[in-house]
Amino acid sequence: MRLPSKASLRYLLRHPWQLGLTILGIALGVAVVVAVDLANSSARLAFKLSMEQLSGRATHQIVGGPTGLAEELFVSLRMAARARPSAPVVEGYGQSRGETLHLLGIAPLAESGFREHLQQAEALPLERLLSEPDTALLADVTARRMGLEAGDTFTLEIAGEDHRLTLLGLLDTDNGSAAGLDGLLITDIATAQVLTDMVGRLSWIDLQLPQGQAGTAARRRIESRLPEDARLVRAGSRQRSLMQMSQAFHTNLTAMSLLALVVGMFLIYNTMGFAVLRRRPLIGTLRVLGVTQREIFAMIVMEAILLGVLGTALGLALGVALGQGLLDLVTRTINDLYFAVTVGDVMLTPTPVLKGSALGLGATLVAVLAPAFEAARTQPRHTLTRSLLEERVHALVPWLAGAGLLLGAAAGGLLLAGDDLVLGFASLFLLLVAVTLLVPLAVVALARACAPLLGSLMGLQGRMAAREVHASLSRTGVAIAALMLAVSTTVGVGVMIESFRDTVRVWLGARLQADLYLSVPGLGTTRAESRLDPKLVQKAADMAGVADVMTLRSVTQETDAGLVRIQAVRASGHAEESYRLKQGDAHQVWPAFRDAKGVLVSEPLAYRRDLGPGARIDLHTRDGPASFPILGIYYEYDSGPGVVLMHRRLYDRHWDDPAVDALGLFLAPGASAQVIEERLRPIAAASGAQLRATREIRERSMAIFDRTFAITEVLRLLTVLVAFVGILSALMALQLERVRSLGILRATGFTPGQVGGLVTLQTGLMGLMSGLLAIPSGLLLAEVLIHVINRRAFGWSMQTLMPADVLAEAMVLAIASALLAGLYPAWRMARIDLTTALRTE
Amino acid sequence: MPDDSLITLTGLSQSYREGQRTHHVLRGLHLEVCRGEAVAILGRSGSGKSTLLNLIGGIDRPQHGQITVAGAELTSLSERRRTLFRRRHLGFVYQFFNLIPTLTSEENVRLPLELNGWGPDPSVSAARAMLAEVGLGQRATAFPDVLSGGEQQRVAIARALVHQPSLVLADEPTGNLDAETGEQVLALLDRLVRDAGRTLVVATHAPRIAELADRVLTLEDGLFRTGPAEAKL
Repeated sequence: MRLPSKASLRYLLRHPWQLGLTILGIALGVAVVVAVDLANSSARLAFKLSMEQLSGRATHQIVGGPTGLAEELFVSLRMAARARPSAPVVEGYGQSRGETLHLLGIAPLAESGFREHLQQAEALPLERLLSEPDTALLADVTARRMGLEAGDTFTLEIAGEDHRLTLLGLLDTDNGSAAGLDGLLITDIATAQVLTDMVGRLSWIDLQLPQGQAGTAARRRIESRLPEDARLVRAGSRQRSLMQMSQAFHTNLTAMSLLALVVGMFLIYNTMGFAVLRRRPLIGTLRVLGVTQREIFAMIVMEAILLGVLGTALGLALGVALGQGLLDLVTRTINDLYFAVTVGDVMLTPTPVLKGSALGLGATLVAVLAPAFEAARTQPRHTLTRSLLEERVHALVPWLAGAGLLLGAAAGGLLLAGDDLVLGFASLFLLLVAVTLLVPLAVVALARACAPLLGSLMGLQGRMAAREVHASLSRTGVAIAALMLAVSTTVGVGVMIESFRDTVRVWLGARLQADLYLSVPGLGTTRAESRLDPKLVQKAADMAGVADVMTLRSVTQETDAGLVRIQAVRASGHAEESYRLKQGDAHQVWPAFRDAKGVLVSEPLAYRRDLGPGARIDLHTRDGPASFPILGIYYEYDSGPGVVLMHRRLYDRHWDDPAVDALGLFLAPGASAQVIEERLRPIAAASGAQLRATREIRERSMAIFDRTFAITEVLRLLTVLVAFVGILSALMALQLERVRSLGILRATGFTPGQVGGLVTLQTGLMGLMSGLLAIPSGLLLAEVLIHVINRRAFGWSMQTLMPADVLAEAMVLAIASALLAGLYPAWRMARIDLTTALRTE
Repeated sequence: MPDDSLITLTGLSQSYREGQRTHHVLRGLHLEVCRGEAVAILGRSGSGKSTLLNLIGGIDRPQHGQITVAGAELTSLSERRRTLFRRRHLGFVYQFFNLIPTLTSEENVRLPLELNGWGPDPSVSAARAMLAEVGLGQRATAFPDVLSGGEQQRVAIARALVHQPSLVLADEPTGNLDAETGEQVLALLDRLVRDAGRTLVVATHAPRIAELADRVLTLEDGLFRTGPAEAKL
């Protein structure tokens, strides 16, 4: 190794704390990005693999209306339309021993050539599956988690009903198919029909059609024999639509993780800046001895690459471990909001690892460019003193602020430029940079304002603390900006979550007008097509004390523009009006709605498809495609596919589906909810339905809401952790740099306690400034998150709430982080060895 | 320019802005220094001695005038060419030693050799020989922070001479040492420079250094108080 590089590296090794914190900072930034990426990609890959397992080698599928397809269709297509190979499937979801199982009912004899996992071994008892009712197969990994072995029996709960099944055999996942098979429960089609209450019906029919002209001819032949409510679609298109639905969720997580990396970049910039600053005499001497600017630049960049490689390697390892933890949160959210997916372990694919490595090294290099230029520009003579450097920085302050304003304007322009989500995030990041550039100006103003105040309160120490923040602006500015950025993230995200929470709370309050609700327990309406027992509906409606009922039917349909949920509602009074309108005149909309003259569209769907009152929406009905006029747009905070709401009368006119899957009961004045609940509960339980009071539904909904945002909270905390490492590193470097001046203070008569106090006061002041600046910037961030990001990602509109506790938390967080980070430097500086300190140049 | 001339300064001017005021440090200096000559520049603090040394060493550029060192017109060279020139032709000794704290004595001395393309083995031998010459053969592996001031300055002298530069520039080389150590260091510098036939320009306000020089120039108000040719002691 060349001597200049050796000298430089030894400098780093002589400051192990600084070196360690820099590497940790890079590592944490990379770890968060890699973890989120791994969790995201593992969940998506697991879903994709299970989708492939589900579709097998099918090229096309025949899908039906809300109640699926009649099973006779399969036979007639095979006979008349020569639709071979073809295989019928019944799909459903159930739960057993804490696992969500994806039920796949197949016809073993028709299966040949479709699903690879069923061809895997003659050991699979497919014949017994066919001949013995209530038998099933499970992937070995799933069975192991559930503590099951071949031959065991277990209970499966579907739509509130318990079923006993015998595990006939295990699907071998040793060949690497674990992710696709995990969570899959395979039964014979007849068993699945009984379990899902679909006797005589099929979920879909798989087909393998040839390519080219033969395929076109086969498609025509089959389509000509399909009933009106059935359609031929490409295999897996429904699953693809489901996956698209969760895209915005994944994008949001990625953006949050990038925010941690941006904060990490500040940290790297700060540390490398300090490392360069402290080595000015060394670099100056090297320059005098004949080391060129280019060689100095290369030396600093090489150093950064070395740190980047170490930090990135550590970050990748941390990221995999953290990814496992995040994966549970991600899959839980996906299961709560979108679709069922089972993932045991993170799947270590090359893309997240490569992306994390590139980001870690790239961010380190970008962050080190400015310090490296500064180092290369160092004049060989030593006349460029610290005060001259600070003079330069102070001269730059108005320019930085100007650049900040310009960038802010550019961010505003980007916001207005289009409706794209990525563009929204780009402007959000630009806005954060803009706010950061305004920090030095704000610090100068705050320090000037604080100096006399602190002076009168704490005397010389107070004045010195404020002046030092001002005098070392080149370093304090960056540290304050990094902490401010992290704290504004917590303010922004905190305000967004609280505003959203409040909006959902108000919305639920308005929506849940009935006193009691009867529904089918299921895993969400996007999956199991479920229905209430008609006798139960009748009994509940006729029950004494029940004044009014509202019925609901919810089915999911795949349209050319993606999935939509069709909801049919009927109320004897005007209870439909609990759906609050966002667009449309209530006086005209509701009478027209009850007269079945059109439909309402949920806000997210209207936003995604640019629909409004007066437009039309196409749906597939019993009689083929039909176009429905849109009467108005209503508020909806569901994460599933958009909703088309119609009166039951309109639904019955277009679909043969008398089922009801939820029932709202309005009690007569004076009727006791408790009495009716007690009377109804056993009847409901006997039919496999669940009865819930409005308050209970509200509480459960809010619990799901909080669970959904658990991962956001985790990412928010991780960002603060990265910032904390940053501020600790910055404060340590700042105080180490002041070792001589603090030594002089000690020599002149400052006690160790006074020196420690001075350092603590200064760090506390920096924390206070970060907190004060984080509040306006955090609120700005919240506005963009609420009105731009959430709108573009999910189509929701909401009111901004100003939660005092979030703002107070931010101040406490900023000051406490700074004080905590200042503890060690304060302790060290108070115990400074005077002779060493005074000799340090 | 005579054949034996190593440094030629022509009409050298330099000034600094201090707030609203311009401080003229050098006002049209002329000077010629011959090869092998030892020149002392005297002057009070702030008289411009260090500025002049920085200009001769190509560390700074003059606002007016020309500097020629060893046949190279420094004022016309780019920053990179001046750095490479410095690397090859100059040795520096400073008041505050300016050793690299993270390199051992031997590595500090090897540094100019390595920069000039010497391989590890010859550079180690040469550095050890030079350290032995300055009486620090036993301290080759010591880092600067464990050396005394006198020892550090001796390492700095070894580093300034090891690559056999044409010119050694010394800025207050004894300014940070006690009288006795300063005397020893000075004697060492004088001996080594003269033995090797190098040219030495030393900025100082210590009369004892001036006694060793072939010529003494006093810098006052940006000009040499006596003509360069006549100030020989």
